[in-house]
Amino acid sequence: MAVVRPFDKLPALNSAAVLLVGSDESLQQKLAEAILKEKKNFKISIHLATSLPLPSERDHLRPRIDLIAFMIDIKSKYSLKNVEASLAHVDASFFLGKVCFLVTGVGRVNYCSVEMNAIWKLGEVYCSPVLYCELELEGIRVATAQRLLRMLQICAGHIPGVSALSFGLLMRNSADE
Amino acid sequence: MEPPQREPGAAAAGDAEAGPAAKLDVLTLLRLREQMKQQLMECSATVHASEESYPDHIIEEKLIKTTTEDLEREMEEVKVSFQNKTLVLQRIQLMDALRNKVKQNDDDSRLILETMKHIIMLSTAILESQQQAREMEEKLNDIKKKRLLLKQAGGNKLLQIHTTMKKQKKELASMEVGEMLEKIRNNLQKEKEMTTLIQNIFQL
Repeated sequence: MAVVRPFDKLPALNSAAVLLVGSDESLQQKLAEAILKEKKNFKISIHLATSLPLPSERDHLRPRIDLIAFMIDIKSKYSLKNVEASLAHVDASFFLGKVCFLVTGVGRVNYCSVEMNAIWKLGEVYCSPVLYCELELEGIRVATAQRLLRMLQICAGHIPGVSALSFGLLMRNSADE
Repeated sequence: MEPPQREPGAAAAGDAEAGPAAKLDVLTLLRLREQMKQQLMECSATVHASEESYPDHIIEEKLIKTTTEDLEREMEEVKVSFQNKTLVLQRIQLMDALRNKVKQNDDDSRLILETMKHIIMLSTAILESQQQAREMEEKLNDIKKKRLLLKQAGGNKLLQIHTTMKKQKKELASMEVGEMLEKIRNNLQKEKEMTTLIQNIFQL
């Protein structure tokens, strides 16, 4: 299947799946490990990919993806282009709160080669929250993992009364003000 | 290309559950039930959202617009009324606190009473001076009106004078012409009489 759809598979009991899409594989591994180290009471499966579309041979083995986190490295314009190309393969109903943009490498302002304006516009156009982090530092990596974990819980429907859409709106309104 | 999936989390969870099987207690089951309810709600909401029909697309849009405007207006009204009610409540609370304080009859309350009397005195003074100011303004207005009337009357009179003078001049001019005509007529008459007289004499 070329396009990732949010609700075409049934959810598994007490589990969630997150898909990390980004061009830097080592950073993805580090973040995945940090997420797995967190204390949680549900099963989590982390899928790593460098770009979409995902190959369709293993499609029946994959569980329902609850959250897609696009990782953009602020030091390389290629990662931004990669993410923009992959966005075309995501179904539109995913952007109702189940997608977030993760911008890494914000610790080194000197090596910025991606404009902040472009990233902000990306977040605006796709109505998704943009999280800034620096995955080289241990503390921030742990904090980002915790944030992603909370978002994943909400997107997978584990938190009663909070849906992915309402959470996305909450993040957007608080960012605007 | 996708690297192999990682599910060490699943293995860890499996170990935790194999040990104490009593972990599958009521709390976990309730939590799972809540999760499933939430997921069901999300799925049904998506299904609902995708099964829209477009009978009268434009009319529906208008309807939606009008309903949103109405709702927004109602919200504003409710907000305003809520703020008013909070204000009134705060005022009532303030009054009540003041009343209680004054009843206590100690230094503070005496100060409060004095301040209130001072306020009353100042307010009466303000009222008086405002009234005086209003009377003065009325007098001023009257005088201004009179001045305006006088000015207008003066203007009218000047206009009248002007017109009468023009009339007089015209009359004079016409009269002069009339006088000249009269003179001519008289002369003519005299000449006529003289000629008839002379003719009569020469017919002799």
